[in-house]
Parts: sequence; structure tokens; C-alpha cells
Amino acid sequence: MSAGAPELLTGADEALTIQAAGAEREIAARSPMQLFWRRLRKDKVAMVALGFVILIVLTAVLAPLIVKIAGTPNPQTTNADLTDDFGQPLGPRAGHPFGVDKLGRDVFSRTVYGSRVSLEVAFIATALIILIGVSVGLVAGYYRGALDTLLTRTMDLLLAFPVLVLAIGIGVACSGKDGCAGGLIQPGLTVVIFVITLTTWPYMARIVRGQVLSLREKEFVEAAQSLGANDRRIIFREILPNLVAPIIVYGTILIPQNIIYEAALSFLGVGVDPSTPSWGAMISDATTIFKDAWWFMTFPGLALLLTVLAFNLVGDGLQDALNPRTGK
Amino acid sequence: MTRSTLRPLLASVVAALALVVAACGGSNSSSSGGSSSGASSGAANQETGGAKTGGVLRQLGSSDVDYLDPGHTYYTGGYQLVYPTQRTLYSFKPDNGKDPVPDLAASKPEISQDLKTITVHIRKGVKFSPPVNREVTSKDVKYAFERFFSINVGGQYPSYFSSIVGAPSKPTKGVKPISGITTPDDQTIVFKLSQPLAVSVSSALVMPISAPVPEEYAKKFDAKNPSTYNTHVVATGPYMVKNDASGKLTGYQAGKSIDIVRNPNWDKSTDYRPAYVDEIQWTTNESDASIAAQQVLTGSHQALDTNPPAAQLKDAVLNRKGQFVQLPGGGYRYFPLNTTIKPLDNVNVRRAIVAAFDRDAALKARGGKFTGDIPTHFLPPGIPGFEEAGGLKGPGFDFLKNPRGDMTVAANYMKKAGYPSGKYTGSAKLLLVAANADPGKAQAEVAKAQLEKLGFNITFRTVPQDAVYTEWCQVPAKQVAICGSAGWFKDFTDPQSMLEVTFKGKNIVKGGGNNNLAQLNDPKIDAAMDKASTLQGDARIKAWADIDKQITSDAPAVPFDWDKTTLIWSKDVQGVGNPYYDALDFSFTSLK
Repeated sequence: MSAGAPELLTGADEALTIQAAGAEREIAARSPMQLFWRRLRKDKVAMVALGFVILIVLTAVLAPLIVKIAGTPNPQTTNADLTDDFGQPLGPRAGHPFGVDKLGRDVFSRTVYGSRVSLEVAFIATALIILIGVSVGLVAGYYRGALDTLLTRTMDLLLAFPVLVLAIGIGVACSGKDGCAGGLIQPGLTVVIFVITLTTWPYMARIVRGQVLSLREKEFVEAAQSLGANDRRIIFREILPNLVAPIIVYGTILIPQNIIYEAALSFLGVGVDPSTPSWGAMISDATTIFKDAWWFMTFPGLALLLTVLAFNLVGDGLQDALNPRTGK
Repeated sequence: MTRSTLRPLLASVVAALALVVAACGGSNSSSSGGSSSGASSGAANQETGGAKTGGVLRQLGSSDVDYLDPGHTYYTGGYQLVYPTQRTLYSFKPDNGKDPVPDLAASKPEISQDLKTITVHIRKGVKFSPPVNREVTSKDVKYAFERFFSINVGGQYPSYFSSIVGAPSKPTKGVKPISGITTPDDQTIVFKLSQPLAVSVSSALVMPISAPVPEEYAKKFDAKNPSTYNTHVVATGPYMVKNDASGKLTGYQAGKSIDIVRNPNWDKSTDYRPAYVDEIQWTTNESDASIAAQQVLTGSHQALDTNPPAAQLKDAVLNRKGQFVQLPGGGYRYFPLNTTIKPLDNVNVRRAIVAAFDRDAALKARGGKFTGDIPTHFLPPGIPGFEEAGGLKGPGFDFLKNPRGDMTVAANYMKKAGYPSGKYTGSAKLLLVAANADPGKAQAEVAKAQLEKLGFNITFRTVPQDAVYTEWCQVPAKQVAICGSAGWFKDFTDPQSMLEVTFKGKNIVKGGGNNNLAQLNDPKIDAAMDKASTLQGDARIKAWADIDKQITSDAPAVPFDWDKTTLIWSKDVQGVGNPYYDALDFSFTSLK
């Protein structure tokens, strides 16, 4: 597998070192995947974080079940009995472990369901960013020339945009009944995903392009060329597999970034339909009454913090495991 | 709808609506009102006897007045400044927000038999503040009206006075004479009208437009665009903004503070105002409403300019009796149900929605029962006809009986409407549009939940506050089924102005700027309105109360809040609120 060449080399180096250190170990060839997994497993912090990420994903998938088991009401259920005469929400109590919000909706249920929006946006947007970023980066880096200039300048242009202003603008413009761009972008989640993707893919594309620029000069590419391989084969079979590591690493960094991005957009009111539970929107609603209702901001805030932290730590762990030379 | 005290919420909506409010009839009578909406603990503070004279009152505010110029202002802050510093022809005492009393005028307006002429006699002995110093004549009132229509001054409610003969139909370049306003002598002003609308025009003579402006002094300022009279206003009331020898208002720091002092030329014997305090220092740049409210409640000689935030309201209501008053806001907040959209075109579906609606929850989303009462019909407390229309108890429709909503009643109406299950089973999607910030957002979320209870499919859109009306609710083509942030507030106390613009079929504007948000088009109601607008006195009140009942029966909207304004002050302040402009009345407030 010529594609794995650099990775295999570093892997082999380490395998030798390990073997030298622990003489009792048997010498065995390990696949890059095995090596990666061994290194990752040793990273305690990353493993704990990974456990938490799995927990969050399970929470999102099993949200209805969790709410049912906890015995808390549906996240959309409003109940004016749970606010006082001044419309202020009541705090944590039996049946409402995290208290309720201004409309008497259960904060526990909403926090649990909020993970769905966060992860949905984060995963879909990240997937789109990878798809677009890698495609554009590959094309630009491999073909260079005028096409590269055009694509790079487009990226520069997008990177120069004031992101939040653009997001709010698109959010408002597409808030109509029929959305915008011919109905492709509907108000709510798709606006959020669109904005995040539009403003973030150039980062991915730049990283990929940089890698491709150096990879295309490597011997194994030259070898493939001299054997008469066409562009498609070289891009997909020779270059792309070598990009897996940086893509994974950057992708895992993108996920928490996108979660925060979604929260920020929801906080600013560009995000999902306000009755849909979203951490960012909950935090936004809670700001005005934080002094009187700490629970309303605290729980979604903690959920957001821990989720983002976990994804970041997993990302760090992956980076260390995939590129041990950049590690500590 | 104007001068809402909830300025961050509805400012632009307010302005948009105010411009199209049609001129309406007046006359007054009837009881209670002012204190009926739970003024409870605050009511005692409205008594003003035996108050101490002197001292400096500080009012904390987070926004500036709109304008100081009485010809230009159209907002609570500006009104709060105008009434203690100017003598309008008529004005309201704090204890009665319904019946105006003669102020600069010496007596009630004389209205001719044909309802086309209004004659007002004005008082002797009222003088302008320095540097003008001369006695006010009827010509100063005439000039005030004429300059109001000039583009340089930009008077904001010309429709109320458009029936005056010769009144410009659009803003004039420079101040132009109006032939229908004459001044036979220095103490008399006569308004000639092209239509028999004397009742309504005379009831609008309480507005700041009628404050006298000395032409010889103001002319040079009014020649500029915009008029610089705004920073050179002369006073006629007990107070004035501090000025220098040229008349420039040195006490006004835009966006920072207003220093209001006694007017040395004010003669107490000509006025009903006691004017206790010597000076009012009004800051208009408080950055945090909660901190300002807290300072007021715990501090000394202070008052807040508008409603306190929820936490301080709670503190005041629970722990600080005598430090606040609640005034009826003179308006209703409602969720209009678009009667042109299926299935809302069916009156029984609308009644079912009203019946099922937990209006208490919607009010709580705005701050609960201390910020308003739950309506049982439309005409709000403080407006003539309120009691005749059923008062707080209402006309007794079963679908408005339970403020928490009644699913049984709702199910019955749904059955009548042809939904045997008692719930909506169709597939129509109803568009609900609301502001993207609280409380507009929160109340609309409640509305969504209530409609979903009955099985409706709701498409929920939140848009910026200023777009809710102008881009959505007021544009019939947008097919908004339920408007999530609607309210209608008085300009002056008259039932016609509270109902005609919002519920008359003839007032539907298809192109945009429509204020009959429900697009209610009931020929019977239209006919009754046409008839009632020509009536006077008690018959008029009665007629509009009946119309209110008919509208309520048609269920074109879910009324959920009769606003109350809460004013707070320090322990050593004897605060008095004026129900006409829903703010502290500086000329009645005193220090202990």
C-alpha cells in the first residue's frame, strides 16, 4: 500500500522503539490502524472524552427514552403553573430536576433534546465541509494554475467575510415562508447548516490544498505518473489516502467548533424555530433572567461546555495518535 | 397606537400604526377605570393633599425623550416632559385619565350644532418662560397648529386634524397659514371643520400640538430643517428645561440628561398643578435597567422612567408598598386570527381557539398579572365604554370565561365547526409570525403551544421586531394566519379609536400597511361603526360598547393582555403617575 507510505514509516519507527524498550514483546508487523488504536488507548484523557462523546451521541439518539425514564414532560410542553405570579420560572424540584424555563417547559427535557440539534448541525455541517473542502482543495492543489488561483481567491473572499454579519443576514433573508435559493434553504436548521458550511469549508480546502501541493511532487506520485496512471487514479488512489489523517484531525476539531457556531447562531436568533430545544437558544433566553433563574442557563451551558470540551479532547487525542511526531 | 411605555418592544410598530390611525370621535363620561386594574396598593399614593414643597427629584432613565418640541413629540418620554412644562388647551389630572380638564383653555370647548365649529376660550395670565416673557394669546396656539404641519417640524399625527378647513394634506415647506383656524381676539380660537367631526377633533385637543408656540421667537428656528425649536423650546407650564438668555436649552444634554427647573413666569393661580418639587434631574443614559431600578427602590429622591424589570417589579409588589403605582396602559395586546385563511374563516373555529387558549400563560410570558389584566373583551380599562362593555368581568361569552383555557368549550365549538373529534383534523398549515426577542417571542411560543393543543399545524417564523408588522402582519399577501406580537394603544381616550382601525372591514388595506390584522369584515359591525361615529355623549359610549361586544362575539383575535404600567420610586418620594401618558407626573410628585 504505497498510499500509507509516510504513516507506515513512522509506525515502523515506533514499533522498533517499542520493541527495543520491551525486549519480552514479540516482533510483529502492525497495521497503521492497529498502531493508531494502541496509541489512542494509552491517552487516558482522550478515552474519557471519547466515552463522554459516545454518551452524548446516545443521549441524542435516545432522547425520548431518557425523558420518559426520567419522568419529565415533553420538551415542548408549556405549563404556566410552573411560573410564579411575575412570570418567573421555578427552580429544580421533584419532577423537574433542572427546573423550568420562562414558559414552564422542563429544562432537563430541553437540555436532553438540545443535544439533538447540536449534534445534528455539527455532524451534517462537518460532513458537508469535509466534502466541499476536500474536493476543492484536491482540485486546486493538484491542477494548480488558473483554476487554483480562481478557487484560492474565492476562498480568500469567503474568509474575508464578516461571518456573523453574513450569518445574520442570510438568516433574516431566508426566514420567509419559502426560504431562499429557490426553497433549497429553509428557515431553521438548513439556514444554520448552510451558513456554517459556507463560511468554514475554505479552511478545510486550504489545508487539503497545501498537503496536495507537496504530495503531488512526491516520488510515488511521479512513479504512478510514469506508469501511465490518469489524474483520477492519482488523486483518488495515491493522494487522497494520504490526506485521511489531516482530514480526520481537522474534522474532529470542526465538530465542537460547529456546535459552538450553532449555539451562537441560535443565541442570536438565526437558528432553529424557537420552540425547538437548542442549547444556544436556551442560553440566550436565560440571559435576561439569570439573576433569578440560574438553572435555566446553567444546565444547557454545562451541556454545551462538556460536549465541546469532550470533542476537543478527542480531537487532540486523535491528532496525537495519527501524527505522533506532532505530539507531546 | 402610540406612546407605548414598552418602548424597546414596540417602538417601530407603534410609530407605524400611529401614522394611520384615523381621526376619531371623543366625549367622555362614566366611572372607575383609572384604578380598576389593580392599582390596589398604589392607589393611596395618588392622593396629593398636604405634600411638601421643594427639593430635587432624580428620574433615572435609559433612553432619551423622542423630542422636546411639543409639535414633534409622539412618545411617552416626550409627553412626560411636555405636560409639566407646557399648557396644552386641555390635559388630564393624575386622578382621572378619561375626562380632560381645561388647561390653557378657560372652559370646555364650545361645539356648534352642526358639529363643524369648535370654539375655545383661553385663560388670561399665562406667560411664556424667559426669554419670551410675554402673555400667551390664542395666536400662539394657532401658530402651534400651523407649524405642526410644516416639514421642518414634522408633526406626527396630522390625521386627527385633517378635517380642519385648509389643513395641509401633506407636510408643507415652511409654516403655512391654515384658513380654518381663526383668532377673533387674543382669548379665543375657532376651528372650522370640513366634516361634522367636532367631537373627535375637540377630544384630540389634549395632544401636545395644542401647546402654544410664540411665532416671533420660534420663526427663526422653524425656518431651519429640521426645526431647531427642539433645543429652544419655551415653556408655559410650572416647569421649564433650563435655558440661557438666548433661549437655548442648556439643561438638555442629548442622550445624557435633562435638567428641569421652575418656570419663573408661571402663575400658580392660573393652573391646577401643585408643582411641589423645585427641580427634576432626569438622566437618560442609564446603561442597565436592573441596576437603575434597584437604585431607585433602595435610594433616595429617585424615580424610574418606565416599567421596572421583572425582579424589581417583584420586589416592589411584594416588599415595597407605597413605592409604586400601576396605571392602566389604555390598550390591548392580542393574537389576531386571520379571518380570510381557512379554517380561521369559520367563526366557531376561532371561538374554539379563544376558548382553548391559556391566556394566563401568554400574560405570564410578558411578566404576569402585575403587568396586565387578562381581557374579557377588547375595549381596555381607562377608555370610556370599558364599563359599559362589561368591565373586567366582560360580556360573558363562554369562550372567554376561563383565562386558563377550557378544552371542553373549545371541543364544543370545534364540533359546531364540523370537526366531530373536537380537534382540528385538516392539513392546513398556519403561519405564525412573531418578533425574535422576548417578550414577543415568548408569548408567541405560548400561542403556538395553545394552537397545537387543538390539533393545528403551525409554521412558526421569528423575524426582527421592526419587520413583524411592516413586512408580515400588515401585508395580507404574506398570508400570516396568526400575528404573534400585536398590540393597540390609545392616543386619547376614545372607544372609536380603539376599535375602528383594528376591526372595521372597510379599513382593510390589501397592499400593505393594513391594521385590521384579523381582516375582520363583518358588514353589521361596519354599519354599526358608521352609525356610532356620528353619535355624542352617553349614546356614543353605549354604541361603541355594543360594537365591542359584537367584535368579541366574532372572535377575530385572542385578547390576552390589558397592559398596566408600573412606576416605581424611592421611599422618600410621593410618586404620582399620570394615566394619560403612563409616566410619573412631575407636577404632582413630591418628596417626603
